[in-house]
Amino acid sequence: MKIIPAIDIIAGRCVRLTQGDYGRVKRYAVDPVVAALQFRESGASCLQVIDLDGAKFGYPKNEKIIKKIFQATGLPITVGGGIRDLKTAKQFLDSGFYRVILSTAVFKKNLVKNLIANYGAERIVVAVDVKDGQVMTRGWRQAAGMSIDQYLKLIKAVGINQILLTDVVRDGTLSGPNFVLASKVIKNNFKVTVAGGITTLAQLRRLNRLGADGAVIGKAAYEGQIDLVSVFKYFSRDNLAKRIIPCLDIKDGLVVKGKRFQELAVIGDAVELAKSYSQNGADELVFLDIAATIEKRKTLITLVQKIAKNINIPFTVGGGINSLADVKKLLAAGADKVSLGSAAVRNPNLVKQIARRFGSQCLVISLDAKRYRGGWRVFIDSGRKPTGIDAVGFARLMEKNGAGELLVNSLDRDGTKRGFDVELLKIIAETVKIPVIASSGAGSKQDFLQAITLGKADAVLAASVFHYGQIGIKELKKYLKSKNINVRI
Amino acid sequence: MIVIIDYKSGNVGSLQNAILGLGYDCEISSDPGKIKKANKIIFPGQGRAKSARRELKKSGIDKIIKSTRVPFLGICLGMQLLADFSAEDNVSCLSVIPGNVFKLPAGLKVPQIGWNRVRFSRSSPLLTGINNNEFFYFAHSYYFQASAQYVLATTDYGVEFPAVISRDNFYSVQFHPEKSGLAGLKLLNNFCAI
Repeated sequence: MKIIPAIDIIAGRCVRLTQGDYGRVKRYAVDPVVAALQFRESGASCLQVIDLDGAKFGYPKNEKIIKKIFQATGLPITVGGGIRDLKTAKQFLDSGFYRVILSTAVFKKNLVKNLIANYGAERIVVAVDVKDGQVMTRGWRQAAGMSIDQYLKLIKAVGINQILLTDVVRDGTLSGPNFVLASKVIKNNFKVTVAGGITTLAQLRRLNRLGADGAVIGKAAYEGQIDLVSVFKYFSRDNLAKRIIPCLDIKDGLVVKGKRFQELAVIGDAVELAKSYSQNGADELVFLDIAATIEKRKTLITLVQKIAKNINIPFTVGGGINSLADVKKLLAAGADKVSLGSAAVRNPNLVKQIARRFGSQCLVISLDAKRYRGGWRVFIDSGRKPTGIDAVGFARLMEKNGAGELLVNSLDRDGTKRGFDVELLKIIAETVKIPVIASSGAGSKQDFLQAITLGKADAVLAASVFHYGQIGIKELKKYLKSKNINVRI
Repeated sequence: MIVIIDYKSGNVGSLQNAILGLGYDCEISSDPGKIKKANKIIFPGQGRAKSARRELKKSGIDKIIKSTRVPFLGICLGMQLLADFSAEDNVSCLSVIPGNVFKLPAGLKVPQIGWNRVRFSRSSPLLTGINNNEFFYFAHSYYFQASAQYVLATTDYGVEFPAVISRDNFYSVQFHPEKSGLAGLKLLNNFCAI
């Protein structure tokens, strides 16, 4: 269900009427454009703007400010009030307004037919304003002289399928919507947006269960009766999947694995492994060149080119990146992102430069942390060198400098298969507003689940459990899905 | 010949690999003459709005894009540059499709990076044979709030934003089809077959 904040305007200002009575106007100090931007900032995906002067006089009187609202927010806007002829309706629809609301004009059959033929039924909404079982028109001041059923039949006959349903008696009273009326109209197979009296999340949830297409929040939003941020959050669907990322340590074109440089074991050919992971459900791959030296750089570039030719999921390349030129070469070779570790600690400005030049979306900062006196400290040079820098503060600095993602490694857990350091993950994920990739310690499927649920990670990276076939990516995703984690299957 | 516009800002190789893999001839070029003669144009994007806009202006490619009649596919930043205006670097764009580019709202994790579902709002040859609600790969901080009549599909990321937009011969997608597995290849194939 769409939550639609309403902006009603009289003489260029935000107002709310009570029961549609122009004699009972409540004016709000906030400028309509500012109000619209505030709604947007709270999370609104659409708006409804009504020109109450227009509704009263029969033609729009606040067009300028309404267009300003559209320009400022860009949101899909449903506009109403005084739209009674083709020219007025066209003007709004042609300039990009999402939908127009017709009320009195619905009796002009040719107008409605013409609009539907030119713009489609989805862009035409008919206001059904009900007072004591009677349909009202002309700014709610006149009874149309027909019952709701008759009215619904009439508008269906001309091809209308979207309705803005208002119980006039409830409107502006904060007394809750008329569920009986809403349910009745929804059952007539209209897409119904309900307005009038909505004050609480519970009422919205009930409307959602009844099958309402949208709900308009007016007075309750202006007067702080309802917390819009949490309402939008409740009804919004964040469908972004949690990512599973195999990590491939590369040396001389081969994938190797060892506990931090000791006892390196060859796992296989990098391109073949990349292909196989990409076909078996990996969401992304990370390649870390663990023998990155100047001479070997060329081999890496060739390898990256080969990988890019063979897979069509994103991949990150890291290891020994020290300059803008390094980044440029790797991206040009086909890498989607680069990962910086020690270089980001030594030269936080490089992070800024890469973000400015290539964008944050291609920059992963890999952070090695180790527990120290109740907190975590950053280490560099593959975990061999302590820096004394606080890990959480460093994460914040990297975000500020333009990092797109943080890859969080725990030196305490790396290679142990004892599970991720979920406390470390959680504190970083809750501190920064960029995605966090959990790394170090994966031993079981439960560990992955905990990194996501307890550690609040957006993605989970592992190496040996995948390389040695201990956990298959498909079975891991199936398991996570059974635990209500959104994964791409 | 399908031409992929290269404006020196990013990774266009993957896109070319994908198109060649589908069996279509395809060339990467920043030469206005070649782009003018293309029978299809793909305009990928990475990097920042301002530098991309500058490159396009310098080379005159912006004028070619505005006047082209051949099927055109904008990807990510390549989509956003079709707008009137972008809040990224506050630059005016090409005004091919009405609407502006906004930053993803505060409160969300920005950039959005990863696989998200794409929900169709109307049918299009670009989307033929692809499942509604399929996952595609996104990597972006800004999105193009095009006028609703041009929106073919949307994505929910706490806020609902347009994922696929089209107007006349112009198609554009916020996600990266070349990085979106089989569904992405299907979309590219659909475009090549238009």
